[in-house]
Amino acid sequence: MIFHRERTVSSIPAISVVDVHKSFGPLAVLKGVSFDVPRGSVVSMIGASGSGKSTLLRCINHLETPSAGEIYIDGEPMHFRVAGDGQRKPRPIAEINRLRRDLGMVFQQFNLWPHMTVLGNVVEAPRRVRGLKRRQAGELALECLRRVQLLDKAEEYPARLSGGQQQRVAIARALAMQPKAMLFDEATSSLDPELTDEVLAVMRDLARDGTTMIVVTHEMRFAREVSDRVLFLHNGLIEEAGPPEEVFGAPKSERCRQFLSKYLQ
Amino acid sequence: MGNWERMVWNQRHLLLDGLVVTLEICLIAFAAAIVGGLVLCLVRLYVRPLRPVAIALIEFFRATPIFVQLLWVNYVWPELFGWPGSSFTAGWVALALQSSGYLAETFRAGIEAVPRGQREAGLSAGMSHALAFRRIVLPQVLLMVAPSLVNQFTVIVKSSTLVSVITVQDLMFQSQKIVHTWLDPIEILTATAAIYILVVFAVSALGKALADVLRRRYGLAAS
Amino acid sequence: MSGALAEALNPAVFWEYRAILFKGLAFNFYVFACAAAAALALGLGAALLRVNRWRPLRWAGTLHVEIFRNAPDYVMVVWVHFVLPLLLGLAIGRRLEFPPFLSAVIALGLVYSGYFAETFRAGIQSIPLGQIEAGRACGMPERLILWRIILPQVVRRMLPEAVNQFVSLFKATTIVSLIAVPDLMYQVSMVTQQEMRPLPLYTGAALTYFAIIFLASSLVRAAAERWRQKVYA
Repeated sequence: MIFHRERTVSSIPAISVVDVHKSFGPLAVLKGVSFDVPRGSVVSMIGASGSGKSTLLRCINHLETPSAGEIYIDGEPMHFRVAGDGQRKPRPIAEINRLRRDLGMVFQQFNLWPHMTVLGNVVEAPRRVRGLKRRQAGELALECLRRVQLLDKAEEYPARLSGGQQQRVAIARALAMQPKAMLFDEATSSLDPELTDEVLAVMRDLARDGTTMIVVTHEMRFAREVSDRVLFLHNGLIEEAGPPEEVFGAPKSERCRQFLSKYLQ
Repeated sequence: MGNWERMVWNQRHLLLDGLVVTLEICLIAFAAAIVGGLVLCLVRLYVRPLRPVAIALIEFFRATPIFVQLLWVNYVWPELFGWPGSSFTAGWVALALQSSGYLAETFRAGIEAVPRGQREAGLSAGMSHALAFRRIVLPQVLLMVAPSLVNQFTVIVKSSTLVSVITVQDLMFQSQKIVHTWLDPIEILTATAAIYILVVFAVSALGKALADVLRRRYGLAAS
Repeated sequence: MSGALAEALNPAVFWEYRAILFKGLAFNFYVFACAAAAALALGLGAALLRVNRWRPLRWAGTLHVEIFRNAPDYVMVVWVHFVLPLLLGLAIGRRLEFPPFLSAVIALGLVYSGYFAETFRAGIQSIPLGQIEAGRACGMPERLILWRIILPQVVRRMLPEAVNQFVSLFKATTIVSLIAVPDLMYQVSMVTQQEMRPLPLYTGAALTYFAIIFLASSLVRAAAERWRQKVYA
């Protein structure tokens, strides 16, 4: 019914990050990062804590505002608008919100809304932000829950679910907005090891279906098997970028090698 | 309208006298409320046969409005008990009764918040129940509830404005007397309101600072 | 003394005048309802100011809260009834007088808006930031986040505290008799002047208020606890 993904690769990248810098006061966390995410591809970001991966992801959907640089979603600049006379004008928050609808984010802490049922969580944004009618939104939500295999939990409250189940609901909630790209911010880092697999399985499925994904993760095996491209961040810069065979198999940067050797024990 | 000097500054002696009476009545009521609250709380917790009486009194003092209690103590008690003799006494007694109801609950929460293990450690070391209570439980309770006590004092100060109705010569009484003399309420009532607001604000700022110190020093969360 | 005790507990006088007295009590409820509505609305507004991004708005909210939270009820009632009409009258060049009911509602509404503002603010700031970010990530505008995610949870979390404040507000309505609002205490003092028998009347008034408030707060406490436990909040 719903998820007809574009299999043909269009020439405009789904997400384009151009020379993004971000400082928190005197602390510079991102020092000039650029990359493209072609439509339908999966890009993984790996790196040590503090390397700026999460900050970069949060800049893409404007949860953090970049200090410098630009972000393009499907060719549209996120932070400014080009007026008729060619002038650049900063975008008001209402327009940025509009662009956010096309990006789905899955958080490390799930961030489900505890006062709504599982179905309520998934249905909320499609109904109130996209304005879908109740029946439409309901069907869409149930479809998303079916996709993450939690249809039977639709009437439960989040507190009654395990961590893995809650995260899958969070994925369903992001999918329900039918975004152009999905952003995963260390989606499995808060989970017990037994529960990680069920979430990774869902993410694998999404990748197989051609969802455009940016995944910040510590799960190296997943990154290696699922990504089309891997970015290694260190100290706010991309130290190494390429297909997984290259980055994992024959990394050019010394730091990348050190990082991987520690992680792939 | 611009009669601040004539209205307020020139009457400052009267206002100051009133403020002194207000603080007197509040401090006495506060002390009595702490004692009363502690007694009610201890009776409720440890004197089995009198528990229902204590609970009834606590609920009665908390549920009855202070104004009603004030009139009741001032007009009915002298007929019933022959006491209090003066409206000043009636004033602080009523204020104390009202606050002791709240403080009894505050103390109870504090006592129940002290981990049971500490009392047991005292008992194992050979202390009697009373000694364990006095040396281990009570000091911690007092520290924990100190900010709530300060808060209750601000409640007393705010309620004390009503004693002017039973002709105690507090700040409110004096300022209303001035209004009746000069028939111009704006400056004097605004000044009176400002004084009360500032006093209450100062006391509650103190309470907040106290809570901060306690949290930092002893790691105790204010109840 | 036993004669006085019997007199005090004799409900005859109270019963005889029950019609007027209960009409007075109805006035307490009437003032309470109006003041509560005002206090909730103003309190929510002040709380939203306090958590706003703009510093001047935050200061305005804090000023409102600190003035009215620290002001004694009686002082506020007297000030609103006697001073505010004069000030407004000066501003518009006419003589103004407030009906006592209006003064009571305004004064108590303002004072309790200070308390409610603090309650709302604490509730709003206790909602984990992650839930708000999840809303933003879906493209939800801030107003939607406030009404659908923040406030429903704030109401659940702050209900016990809010109930306490409603009870305090009801108790505070007893002072409106002092500006001649015909509430229960006012009627009691009228009847006392006529009958010259204060004991049973004051005792009766005390017991009446006690019964109402004790019953109401116990019921609401029980109900609120059950509603809260329906959903983990």
